Amino acid sequence: MKETIDCRGMRCPLPIIACAKKIIEMQDGASFILLADDPAAAVDLQAWSRMTGHHCAPQGDGAWMIEKRIKD
Amino acid sequence: MVRNFLSESPLAASARDVLLDAFDQGWHDPLKLSQGASKARTLYQECLESISARLGTRPDELEFIGEPSFGHFLAIQGLRTPNSRIFYSSVDKKEVQALTRAGAHAIQLPVTSEGFVIDKKLDQASGEDLFALQGANGETGVVQNLESLSERFLSHAPHGRIILDFIAVGIHIPLPSRWDSALFDSRSWGGPQGLGVMAIKDGSPWRYPLPHVNSFRAPHSFSLPLLLASAVALDAWENQEEKFRSLSRRLRGGISSISHCDIAGDLDRSLPHINSVSFLYVEGEELLRTLEKRGFLVDSGSACTAEDLQPSHVLAAMGLLTHGNIRITLHPGTTEDDIDELLAAIHLSVAELRE
Repeated sequence: MKETIDCRGMRCPLPIIACAKKIIEMQDGASFILLADDPAAAVDLQAWSRMTGHHCAPQGDGAWMIEKRIKD
Repeated sequence: MVRNFLSESPLAASARDVLLDAFDQGWHDPLKLSQGASKARTLYQECLESISARLGTRPDELEFIGEPSFGHFLAIQGLRTPNSRIFYSSVDKKEVQALTRAGAHAIQLPVTSEGFVIDKKLDQASGEDLFALQGANGETGVVQNLESLSERFLSHAPHGRIILDFIAVGIHIPLPSRWDSALFDSRSWGGPQGLGVMAIKDGSPWRYPLPHVNSFRAPHSFSLPLLLASAVALDAWENQEEKFRSLSRRLRGGISSISHCDIAGDLDRSLPHINSVSFLYVEGEELLRTLEKRGFLVDSGSACTAEDLQPSHVLAAMGLLTHGNIRITLHPGTTEDDIDELLAAIHLSVAELRE
């Protein structure tokens, strides 16, 4: 089971900030599941991924797999 | 001193004088027979001629609307036929989107990350289909390529009808060569709120969509003093395109040195006085309030500032960050010093809120 960060009930940017905090303590290539139900999260997670280089894959039902990628 | 970077601004001084005077002098109903009414009729005619000359239409193509948003209904609904489908884009205003989807087969066109309408679906157009086309977006300022979009639409639907939303554009850009109806808002050229201008192209199949009480094409319940003030404001409106563009370039340059921010659209293909930017990890409402404490008024498209708590559909359609968004609108009085001081306040506020 992957570690899960539950951000349901939080409004953006809080889920994105939680994501960024979590990623700091992780190894390159490690991943976790983020749960979020704010309608802005889907757009903002993609934008965060584009800006920071970390990978973000939607899993459906308000879940995303976030994988740490260190930019070259 | 509070520096105004909101989308609205106080009425131009010349328009304000006219407005006050007109409420004193211009209260007669132009349709009646008294001497005062005859004077009001002359004033109305003068407004019609001067506004149409600036907008690039014929005087008999214009109608004035007391409720600008209602103009969207008239402009769209007046061109609909029972079988017409309607094409619109993901960055159209929500009220335009709601109107297009009500009671007709509506086809939404997506936009690129720079905010330009992707025209591929227009190849499905045929018959008397409608195309709701926004001249420029009020949130990001992005200007559409009106000639190429309307050409592509009409090449598939030669009898198709084009509805232009020029609310944000005003007279920043000219009307394209082909259109059927177009809607303007007096505020876009510094005029008062509460006056819309609807243009109906000569020869267009547009029909009044409400039950007729007379031969008019619009309710004609607009305020004559507001019309006079709008005409004066439009007359006094100067094209400050170059000044706005150079100030916006300075602003965007100064903002882009802040890490992790999204600036919407390419300035060279946008209205030069509108700037929309989002900062990662920052809440829009907090940023707006922090800037206000430092003496700067800005707008925000972020969900926390919207009535329905939904993120901006325009930023979402472009795939841009929707939280931490502010919109900075420049006005004729904006100076380089204003921009530099606003930049300093943004740098400080974003750093503070990210701590």
